[in-house]
Amino acid sequence: MKGLGELHIPGDTFYSDDHEWAKKAGDLIRVGISDFAQDQMGDIVYVELPGIGTHHDAGVEFGVVESVKTVSDCLMPIAGEVVAVNAALDGSPGLVNESPYADGWMMDVKPDDPGCLDALMDEAAYRVFLEKG
Amino acid sequence: MVESGAKRTPLNDWHRAHGASMAIFGGYDMPLWYTAGAKAEHLAVINGCGMFDTSHMAVLRLTGPDIHEFLQWCFSRDLERCVGRQKAPLTPGRAVYGVFLNEAGGVVDDVILFQTEPDVYLAVVNAGMGAHATHHVLNYIDTCEDSCNVLISDLTDKVGKIDLQGPLAGLVMREVLADPGRVLDAMPYFSFKGSLYGSPTDRIGDVRLKDGTPVLLSRSGYTGEFGFEVFVEPGKLVGAWEVIFEAGQRYGLLPCGLAARDSLRAGAVLPLSHQDNGNWRYIENPWSVALPYNDDGTAFTKDFLGRRALESSPPSYFTRPFAGFDMRKIAPAIAPPVVVDSAGKVIGIVLTCVTDMGIDRVDGAIVSIASPERPDGFVPRGLCCGFVKVNRWLPAGERIVLRGAKREIPVVITDDIRPGRTARKSMETMLSYTQTPQGRTT
Repeated sequence: MKGLGELHIPGDTFYSDDHEWAKKAGDLIRVGISDFAQDQMGDIVYVELPGIGTHHDAGVEFGVVESVKTVSDCLMPIAGEVVAVNAALDGSPGLVNESPYADGWMMDVKPDDPGCLDALMDEAAYRVFLEKG
Repeated sequence: MVESGAKRTPLNDWHRAHGASMAIFGGYDMPLWYTAGAKAEHLAVINGCGMFDTSHMAVLRLTGPDIHEFLQWCFSRDLERCVGRQKAPLTPGRAVYGVFLNEAGGVVDDVILFQTEPDVYLAVVNAGMGAHATHHVLNYIDTCEDSCNVLISDLTDKVGKIDLQGPLAGLVMREVLADPGRVLDAMPYFSFKGSLYGSPTDRIGDVRLKDGTPVLLSRSGYTGEFGFEVFVEPGKLVGAWEVIFEAGQRYGLLPCGLAARDSLRAGAVLPLSHQDNGNWRYIENPWSVALPYNDDGTAFTKDFLGRRALESSPPSYFTRPFAGFDMRKIAPAIAPPVVVDSAGKVIGIVLTCVTDMGIDRVDGAIVSIASPERPDGFVPRGLCCGFVKVNRWLPAGERIVLRGAKREIPVVITDDIRPGRTARKSMETMLSYTQTPQGRTT
């Protein structure tokens, strides 16, 4: 398991207490799981993503990430409508391990509330959250 | 950080220094996987070689003038008829897999029994089970006929163990042994040589690493692949591990954690004790070899503890292997996932469900990265597989559905899972193994 100092926690990104991340991508919000989450899960073998056009409230399940060890639900960090998903994860789920914030992104969401990121943790707050365990 | 109360093997610092993700298993702080990841480790053992710290396993030493009669009563194998296809008697230098059953026919633990001398045996049981298994067998001394003069010592934490597994394991072992030609000659599956302390009275030869470390070297393991279990005293475990690790580098050897161990053993149709067996009668499961059946499987060849319960009434449960159609598995939740038959009826529970990352289906049939008949460029996505415990016999080919809290997965009952396994191949074949690793997907 990575130590706290080894975890990648980008500064332009916001985090939920379920270890999903969200960051602005134009008018949309891009969503994935954090370096901490992928490190805890181990090798990811399958990612199940939602249908385009589906709407999900914050905190509800939008997908499933399956590793060698476990099957975990992914929870919406914000509320909104799914407008795109990362099709590359279908054939290469390991991208979530290799590049959780870039090539391993999961979906783009049109947020219900453009100010929704304010409800999430920034880098410093997420770091404190992880330290508390 | 080690959670308080968890035991450590002598290799704990090594695991952490090499980036292992650790977790508590059987009361020990053990590696789940190292930096290569569980998938790469799993594939390395099928195509190349990997090594596991298995020092969490407990060992009992059993001896005394009446030990043979005692084991004939409380161990499930018939020691007079258990070695090879000829069903020869167990002799020094041979090992057998079996179980300790209780009177109700339930499993106390599964065991690999090594006969080191005519009246001395080592029993390898599971992590944390040393005291329990010792207590259990001692309890039954009273049920032996006449007096029963046996001495049983719990060697928990007094034996280190390294599993070197995979088709290239023989080539690695040849480089680290002091006298490899002699040691590796005439060493069939489930045989062993040497001893933990290099005892001069030992009747089954002396096995040493090049640096003089005495080891007990057994051709066995828990992956379904060719390889060895190396028993060594704990003070020499780290040195032995490093010698093997270094020699293995040119063969692509990876240190492997419990995740790969679990997925490899499930694909090889090997049980995890207390998960795939337990407090239900040990019968009608894939491991009937552990019971002392006669040649046509119609009766037992000896009386033993638990026999009466096994024979008392028709089986209530049947344990069967299954394989899915893709890598998706069903996660154990608070309640175990259930098994649903084609009529929609719940008929049992899921015992083990993992993904074997070395296999996939080609035209419906299961193919492994080690299968000679695999198509060119075969890159498996992995298949979900494991064991179900159901209330009626299910033939191979019958489709069932595994239903968890959130998803359902269709799978099919099968007699075997990962094809092309190497565990039983001859030493000669494996020492001439030159196939370059293929099919690696990471």
